[in-house]
Amino acid sequence: MSRAKGYLPAWLYLACVVLVTGLGIAGAMALRPAFANSVKEFFGLQAAPVAAPSSFYLTRVAPLFEAHCASCHGERRQKAALRLDSVAFALRGGRHGAVIQPGDVKNSELMHRITLPPSDDRAMPPEGKTPLSPDDVTVIRLWIAGGASPAMLATAIKGAPRLVREVAIPTLDAEAARRQRQVLAPDVERLSRRYPGLLTYESRNSAGLELNAALSGHAFGDEDLKAFTPLFSRLVRLDLSNTAVTDASARLLAAMPSLRSVRLTNSKAGDDVIAALASLKSLKSLTVTGSKISQQALSQLRSHGVVIYGDGDAR
Amino acid sequence: MPDNAPKPGVYVWDAPTRLFHWSIVVLIFVSWLSADQGYMKVHLWSGLTLLVLLLFRIGWGFAGATTARFSNFLHSPGRVMAYVKTVLGGERQLHAGHNPAGGLMVAVLLLALLAQALTGLVANDGLKFSGPLALQVSVDQSDQLTQIHGAIFNFMLVLIWLHLVAIGFYLLVKGENLVGPMVTGKKHHAHVPEGVALVFTRPVIALALLALSAACAAWILL
Repeated sequence: MSRAKGYLPAWLYLACVVLVTGLGIAGAMALRPAFANSVKEFFGLQAAPVAAPSSFYLTRVAPLFEAHCASCHGERRQKAALRLDSVAFALRGGRHGAVIQPGDVKNSELMHRITLPPSDDRAMPPEGKTPLSPDDVTVIRLWIAGGASPAMLATAIKGAPRLVREVAIPTLDAEAARRQRQVLAPDVERLSRRYPGLLTYESRNSAGLELNAALSGHAFGDEDLKAFTPLFSRLVRLDLSNTAVTDASARLLAAMPSLRSVRLTNSKAGDDVIAALASLKSLKSLTVTGSKISQQALSQLRSHGVVIYGDGDAR
Repeated sequence: MPDNAPKPGVYVWDAPTRLFHWSIVVLIFVSWLSADQGYMKVHLWSGLTLLVLLLFRIGWGFAGATTARFSNFLHSPGRVMAYVKTVLGGERQLHAGHNPAGGLMVAVLLLALLAQALTGLVANDGLKFSGPLALQVSVDQSDQLTQIHGAIFNFMLVLIWLHLVAIGFYLLVKGENLVGPMVTGKKHHAHVPEGVALVFTRPVIALALLALSAACAAWILL
């Protein structure tokens, strides 16, 4: 073991290391704006941008990123080290640097990727994912052209395509309906023989049933309704107009969880029936023209979001 | 040899060890650059080459020259700490090969590189490229290992930085050039303990080991 013979004292070398490392980090920050933003935000030198409520970003752009991009560039996965689930992440960029150049659509990598033909390997969203529509692309283009601001109000950007709310239409499973109908068949057959023409399926690929007791008029009473008990869970439409069904059947109606539409025109049903219907979550519409139902009972039903046709006892 | 004649350098690093070292330097740079620029086929081949070399180095750590052997440079944490204290205290310890701290650095770098190469086999770039074994794991697992692949690279950057700082420390503070010997294989006699006996393995063994490593990698992949 001997004394070391060097050129620099250790403290001076340490200072050189700090200096060179600092210069290296500064150089990397200059070359990689995304890295620079991360470093600045880490040391609290720069606040991460936050989207304002009612901003164009939050109302128009963020839902598109969420629907089309976030599954690969979100909290769970960050492919290419890119996240698009917040405006701060989107502006920060990914492994290859910034993907959005505020105000510069032409040089924004994100814009470039989402406008590539689907056959291009680098097109986004990639093959197999839901593609952006031309209107979606326009929305993103307008946002970037407008400065990719997290705060700019939705109303401040002109020429954006109208916001289209997508409604998912449930698809019917014909095979499942066939199996469900097989279970119902004996009761449907028996009751169809006893009450000809009153019972039908709502559509070809559904096991939902419609009971149109109005065809029997006053001959159809509480006992008749009770006879359909085995099918209550499958009844989706019920027409008791002009029948003799009374409040005594209230508990029967409460046992029909699939009911979406009920007609009580000129029926003897009263407030008890309405109270029973209020417990049905799937009920959408009720017709009460010419009935004895009170406004108070109807207002309770309205508060559940049921559309009511007719005025009940308000005549 | 007359007493006043300059003493020759002592041969400490054999050719396979030096070639491995500089190949790894080049391959790490190529791997980073190719991934950064999106040349994923280049990245794939540099990664596979790296894996073969790592397998070779592991074998060389048992069958190679004295200074290349794990038994020569892997020490207990206590010995490593004692060495660091000694060096920072201004004292000098002579080692023909890696000193205890350097040995630890080699081991950690080898492990990090191995983990990097293995995670790369099942990683994906989120576009159209996946590692050759990516189909052997689920998409979620591939994504998670891709994140780890990126994290290990950042860890390796720290290790490389530390490696360079240590080289600079030895050169500028301790007056010992570590880079030169890794190029020529020879260390200045003043930096080698007197009378050290080093054993070197024949190059043909290295070639056989390299071929075996390539075969192992091919077996893993095929």
